[in-house]
Amino acid sequence: METKQETPTKSDLPLDGVKVAAITVVWAGPHCTQVLAEWGAEVIRVEPINAIQPYSRGAERIAPREQLIEMANNGITLSAYPDFEPGDEPWNRNPGFNSHSRNKKSMACNIMTSEGKQAFLKLIKEVDVLVENNVPTTIEKAGITYDTLKKINPRLIMLRMPAYGLSGPYKGYRAFGTHVEAMIGHHYLRGYPDGTPDQTGEAFTADAFAGLLGATVITAALRYRDLTGEGQQIEMPLAEGFLSNLGEFILDFEMNDRVAGPQGNTHHSHAPHGVFPTHGIDQWIAIDVSEDSEWRTLCEVLHADLLQKDTKFATQLSRFNNRDALHEELAKFTVEYDKNELFQQLQLAGVCAGPVMDDVELLSSPQLINRGFFEELDSPVIGNYRYPGIMTKWINTPNKLRTAPPRLGEHSEEIYKELLGYSDLEYKELLEQGHVGDRYPDHLLPEFLRAPQ
Amino acid sequence: MTRQLFEGIKVLELGTMVGVPYSGKIFADYGADVLKVEPLEGDPSRSEGPFLKDIPNKETSALFLHLNTNKRSITCDLSTASGKDIVRSLIDSYDIVIENFNPGTLESLGLGYEAVTSNRTDLVMGSLTSFGQTGPWKDFKGSELVLQAMAGPMHMNGDPTKEPIKLGGNLAHYHAGLSLTYACILARLRVERGGSGDHIDQSVYEAQAGFRDRRAPGLTSASYTGRSNKRGGSLGRTASGPRPAKDGYANIMAGTSKHVPAFLRLIGREDLAEHPDAKKPATQMSTTFIEEMEASYAIWLIDRTKREAVAATQSIGILGGAILTVEDLLNDPHYQERNVWEEVEHPETGSIRYPGRHFVTSGATRKQMKRAPLLGEHTFSVLTDMGYTNSDIVQLRRAKVV
Repeated sequence: METKQETPTKSDLPLDGVKVAAITVVWAGPHCTQVLAEWGAEVIRVEPINAIQPYSRGAERIAPREQLIEMANNGITLSAYPDFEPGDEPWNRNPGFNSHSRNKKSMACNIMTSEGKQAFLKLIKEVDVLVENNVPTTIEKAGITYDTLKKINPRLIMLRMPAYGLSGPYKGYRAFGTHVEAMIGHHYLRGYPDGTPDQTGEAFTADAFAGLLGATVITAALRYRDLTGEGQQIEMPLAEGFLSNLGEFILDFEMNDRVAGPQGNTHHSHAPHGVFPTHGIDQWIAIDVSEDSEWRTLCEVLHADLLQKDTKFATQLSRFNNRDALHEELAKFTVEYDKNELFQQLQLAGVCAGPVMDDVELLSSPQLINRGFFEELDSPVIGNYRYPGIMTKWINTPNKLRTAPPRLGEHSEEIYKELLGYSDLEYKELLEQGHVGDRYPDHLLPEFLRAPQ
Repeated sequence: MTRQLFEGIKVLELGTMVGVPYSGKIFADYGADVLKVEPLEGDPSRSEGPFLKDIPNKETSALFLHLNTNKRSITCDLSTASGKDIVRSLIDSYDIVIENFNPGTLESLGLGYEAVTSNRTDLVMGSLTSFGQTGPWKDFKGSELVLQAMAGPMHMNGDPTKEPIKLGGNLAHYHAGLSLTYACILARLRVERGGSGDHIDQSVYEAQAGFRDRRAPGLTSASYTGRSNKRGGSLGRTASGPRPAKDGYANIMAGTSKHVPAFLRLIGREDLAEHPDAKKPATQMSTTFIEEMEASYAIWLIDRTKREAVAATQSIGILGGAILTVEDLLNDPHYQERNVWEEVEHPETGSIRYPGRHFVTSGATRKQMKRAPLLGEHTFSVLTDMGYTNSDIVQLRRAKVV
């Protein structure tokens, strides 16, 4: 095992020396290994180049520039390559993939083939952690369940993140975020109080929680291993990782038989509490007033003398009881203001408020820029761009993104030869078989990317 | 040798409402010794509700009961000199301190990271704030709504013809609390391996900006193209997305999947299954074909429960989920079979079900969940363990320190 033996110093990253193998897709698994890598782990993505791993690098839905621009016009930028240009290797330019894969390595390896499985089992001897979030049967079919792998490496910590579990009626259910979102009770709760569930958007939650929780449990399991010498399997379904986030609703049902309806922007006592229009098209400010003095300040900033004098709105309780009228009246004032100017005025006066920021606006947040949240990474296949960075600061441990998102198969040679001990000849054979390399074969690609005949 | 995941770690929680208490709950639920220091009137979440029978009572707030399982509680007034002394001595004997005071408040009490680490290097202090310990907005007010608006995916949730809406409940604060736990256990691992502790500066704002579900990817796309995700965006709604079923809504990805012919046979439209459009991507299907498919799907779905419809479509490989309410969750056969709920006994509420474990470990063990502490329930025993005599404690009570 390559676990670092010398004493770590104050500024060492806590996971320095920890090696992680990852067979991950979509959001949750990749997010887990993202935050492990940010804090020092060496993360090796195991990914095929002779088959397309769906929902990973977006290679199963490569689209030409015009189509991506049209999608962006319709509000979806999920696959928007730099300058909308797929380039010759679009799988290295996918924003969904590149937003989690920085700091990671890519090893070409198809675990569903015999040569791939052989390499994978060698890799398992060398790593501390394996993370996977496939449909449960994928791991069973590949013959790499924990019971098998622990015989090769008893110190292995294996995290499995299925959607619903390795047992139970929904074990085999296939799902995207939008479907898990339904089955964990969150889709229903996040709608408009007077609306239907089809009016919500493609904003999900369970992957963000599962990824972070997975990394937390892996870190705890590394500590457990330091103390006991033992590895273990962690089964953490997306659904189960999420449920505790609804604890107050669940206990309310248990105590009072109340079935919480769609919540929208409501609050059970604050008023005003909502999102109000500001000057411009689709521009909004959120305002959350929890005390009478804050209400008076809000009216002063908005020059809303009549509202301030209105007895219907004098106390928290009366505002709450008249909140529909209150919100309607307030909107007449906010709509005259620029959201960013109003935000500054309100906050400096002590009112809890903030503008709704889209992705482009958030990139210019003075607070995020001041705190160095965004970091630039340069890559020959992507270009030089800013990325959302590390979401936690440690005051005595400066931390930065280290490497750009890996190209498909970029680290194969290093990993096969240096870590797994393949000879030059053995590696050459894998190259010739098309098992390693840095490109999917032409027959798996859309026509515009194939080599001319 | 078996033990719990966080066994042997001592966590002192100076936290209120959701974020830090959730962070502490994760530690406590998996074996850490978590002591919560509450103001004399209690954590404000005790006054937040929803309450048992809707009667305000500091011992029956659902929010508090849920977020404080497995913890002990003492009350202590930090504005008094003796209160500060008590907390200072507690900090000296704890491994991790988690707190959510406004930036600078602990320093002004003489309990800041520098002050409490003057004699040790192994303390981990995790601080959670709305916007962070530094920066032009560090003293701004944040709340669940405002922080979701400013940095979360609110801009893309909701109907484009209406106002944007937040995600449910207190998700931004739960997420930030989890991120704080991750940082604290990382730092504790470094300490136990011979390194130093640290002062962790977690903001809800940055946790939202780094939120995996569409925010971090959206920021990357925006950096690549100068364009943003918007409300109303969808990867295709042809016989896909939330639709009314007999008992609510089901979200089944039928018309935009590879399984349209099988789907059409399932809903009794063998005739349409043979149509050439059935093998085309949804974007290339004719309007008449789509209308017929949609009409038959609507009739088929309204006749079935959401779970039946999802089970039937899953059986032919179609992705989907039933849009469950809280009641559905608690009655769901899958969650019941997997024992995700846990009965917890409490003197006021009796025995009710809580969300229990988040995951299953093959090595580490987990104990039956214990109810949240009553206000100040452990004040006496904690002070006694610290060496205070009965008469000291009586005096502290009289002086309204504890």
